[in-house]
Amino acid sequence: MNAQWMRQLGAVVSLEWKKSFFNRRSLWIYLLAALPMVIFVGHALETKFTRERLARQRTPQVTMERARTLREGMTPEQVEAILGQAPSRQTRGSRRNRIQSWNYSDGERQINVRFRNGELERWSSNESCNVSEDLHIFAGVYQFFFLRLMVFFGCVFVFLNLFRGEMLDKSLHYYFLAPIRREVVVAGKFIAGLIATTVIFGTSVALQLGALYWHFDGPKLEQYLSQGGGWQHSLAYVAITGLACLGYGSVFLTGGMLLKNPLIPAAVILVWESINGVLPAMLRKLSVIYYLKSLCPVEIPIDKGVPPFLAMLVMNVEPVAPWIAVLGLVVLSGVMVTLAARRSRTLEIQYGAE
Amino acid sequence: MSDSRIVFENVSKFYGEVLGVNRVSLSIPPGITSLVGPNGSGKTTLMNLMTGLLRPTRGSVSVCGVPTSDPENLFKLMGYCTQFDSYPKGFTGYDFVHSFLRLAGYEAREAERLAWAAIERVGMQDAAKRKVAGYSKGMRQRIKLAQAVSHDPRVLILDEPLNGLDPLVRAETIALFRDFATEGRHLLISSHVLHEVDIISDQVILMSSGYVVAEGQIKAVREEIEDHPMQILIRCDRPQRLASRLFEHDHVVEVKVHADGQGLLVKTRSADQFYLMMNRIATGDFRIDTVAPVDDDVNSVYGYLIGAEEATR
Repeated sequence: MNAQWMRQLGAVVSLEWKKSFFNRRSLWIYLLAALPMVIFVGHALETKFTRERLARQRTPQVTMERARTLREGMTPEQVEAILGQAPSRQTRGSRRNRIQSWNYSDGERQINVRFRNGELERWSSNESCNVSEDLHIFAGVYQFFFLRLMVFFGCVFVFLNLFRGEMLDKSLHYYFLAPIRREVVVAGKFIAGLIATTVIFGTSVALQLGALYWHFDGPKLEQYLSQGGGWQHSLAYVAITGLACLGYGSVFLTGGMLLKNPLIPAAVILVWESINGVLPAMLRKLSVIYYLKSLCPVEIPIDKGVPPFLAMLVMNVEPVAPWIAVLGLVVLSGVMVTLAARRSRTLEIQYGAE
Repeated sequence: MSDSRIVFENVSKFYGEVLGVNRVSLSIPPGITSLVGPNGSGKTTLMNLMTGLLRPTRGSVSVCGVPTSDPENLFKLMGYCTQFDSYPKGFTGYDFVHSFLRLAGYEAREAERLAWAAIERVGMQDAAKRKVAGYSKGMRQRIKLAQAVSHDPRVLILDEPLNGLDPLVRAETIALFRDFATEGRHLLISSHVLHEVDIISDQVILMSSGYVVAEGQIKAVREEIEDHPMQILIRCDRPQRLASRLFEHDHVVEVKVHADGQGLLVKTRSADQFYLMMNRIATGDFRIDTVAPVDDDVNSVYGYLIGAEEATR
């Protein structure tokens, strides 16, 4: 690539990135990106409030060590002797089947003790902040909500419109009347779209993680970040988001140029990506989500109760090594952008036909 | 030779089953060439084929030896002022020209210099920093023209460039076109306003329903139309007497005394013989003030070739 092409590429990118970020229609992308943040901010607030409530309800003599000494069949008096008087008590059921529920707090978790007909039936504790559980929730939301829907539709919107939107606005000729290779226009538009989507969705992931970490208490967060691979996980999620924009972006860029009505192929691709887990091994590799799932740092546990078909959709069958996944996505994107560039050479300006 | 010409080789363009242009073969030399025809005759299709915005269904087009499938080299030597009236959102007039030059690969400072030079050339300095969306039709035409000429192209393609311009700017723009032509450039101008074409063009291409019906210098085209005798106005003294002299010649088919009684309107089958005859008469006992053809303008020629109704459409 010579210096002239680089200058031209820079000129296309500088014209295009503003459109992708500040176009009035881009509001949808910001909303899509903000949606999962709402979930995690809500979760963080809820946890904060719960923790504050538990701190207020803390019974001085309640500890997990003491709770672990509780045994089935104990009487309420025996339990009271160990944990003290419960600040919250509920009774329900009939005279023959009387259930009592006592709630204690050690300041961090809620300890629930349940009696049936005056005998301890079971006890349980709920942590206000469970790092491992929260990370699994994040992984689930990220893989099945954020990647498959938010990033997917964000890329549909941005990349399908790179050429098609300008065809509809009747402004594509501005590029096609300049002494510039059409391949350079394609590359410039793609890079601008990639920058915009990666920044928007990458920022969204960073903020989601920020919201998630916000309610972790200090020592737990520190331990997760320094010893539990927290920093690597965080960086991995942002990088995977960028790769998702690269993969989906290239597919939709090409779709928008090859097809008159690209919404139908977008729907087909959405279905194809969704059923990736049940496809034969060869076909599975022809999808973006296959490589992205292989890169995700936290695996999602699948409950035994999940139906087999749903489990197939959720689980990552035969994941590939990270370097193969990255290479696979880069190759797929390269092929797609090359196809788009080839198509651009024969693209005609026929605004009336759109 | 073809390196200085715009060449169409048996070009056809169909939009599905709809004809755009059909079997067009042209070799256009430098100078001002007007593409004439009513709306829907195929003028814009021909221009879009020439600029690579459309690809021919059949045949090939090259501009000064560069195929239209090579936009990088094509637009180094060509500027196109289109009829498309949409602009990148939020652009000022200056942005419109400057960004185009940046896309062309010019360094920022050089692009700035060229942009201002082009804007000045079309007299848009005062409005250059205003948003194009707020421009009048005439201002938009001029800023498009500035963009088309900003990189100093050898070939200028102008689709209805005088639309929306007020008379003063119109005259200035026509003078600008003449300047370009005298520098040895191609100017291809489409218009459906026939008297406009007469003023500015060296040669014309007449189009109708997707076909080129005639091309060349307008006088030469007129002379080739044998079905319609040429009309010539003679301003002279004693018009009745002159009329009787003219009727002695076989090529003269009709003579009318002009409504003001100061001359004759003559129809002849042979312009050459007529002018030879007039040389002899002028040296005799008549005072001849003017001899001028009255139907060798584009309007008349187009009317003869296509039909008066379509010519005025």
